[in-house]
Amino acid sequence: MKINHHEESGIVIIAPKGKIMGGPESTALHDLLHDLIEQKKTSVIIDLAKVDWMNSTGLGLLISGLTTLRKAGGELKLANVTDKIQSLLTITKLVTVFKSFDSIDEAVKSF
Amino acid sequence: MKKPDIKPDGIIIPSSTDFLAEVDCFIEAKLAEAGVDQSIMTDIAIAVSELVNNAIRHGNQSDPDKQVDIRFNISSSKLVISVIDQGGGFKKEEIANPIDDDNLLREVGRGIFIVENFVDDVEITELDSGGTRVKITKNL
Repeated sequence: MKINHHEESGIVIIAPKGKIMGGPESTALHDLLHDLIEQKKTSVIIDLAKVDWMNSTGLGLLISGLTTLRKAGGELKLANVTDKIQSLLTITKLVTVFKSFDSIDEAVKSF
Repeated sequence: MKKPDIKPDGIIIPSSTDFLAEVDCFIEAKLAEAGVDQSIMTDIAIAVSELVNNAIRHGNQSDPDKQVDIRFNISSSKLVISVIDQGGGFKKEEIANPIDDDNLLREVGRGIFIVENFVDDVEITELDSGGTRVKITKNL
């Protein structure tokens, strides 16, 4: 899985593509999130527009990112959540944990 | 590294998450071949990925000498997939409820809960020969 990321107004936007199912792609996303924290970049948006689906490993990665960033004084927000991932967030009640936005612009403005 | 063994009605993989994508390809190809609706296909792909992850990590403890056997059977009325590991088994009732407020921020423990939401039946059996079989059924 390819993971692009860039910075906009001091906020890091991570845009994974494909499926987040617990294989090497999940390790790559985990490592990227933790590299950013080490670099003191703690305002992060994950753009899910091009993520086909994720499983509980993907959800666990998002939670790990969220809690670690919050401990470091930052925040992780979601953008462009697809219907399938929204359904997973609803089923697992994680919809109450994550702040999500319909676009990157809205997510950036919310910081 | 050992390779997956692909058969007409299943795939056997070594206990490594490196092979999750190959299992997914196998399952999605089978479902597409059977003309299963895209949304159901995704639900099943997610459910199987949960079961195979569990089998690799918790069942077989990522032991590369152990295998995970995924068996696929589809008819006009239902889809049945079994995931069999060679581990020590688990008790579903020992898994904390992932939607309790106290557990929402836990990074793990949602797999079986998600599977139960996406299929019509989940049957967990400890096999006499050792290992655990999780059989999921989706009515079509």
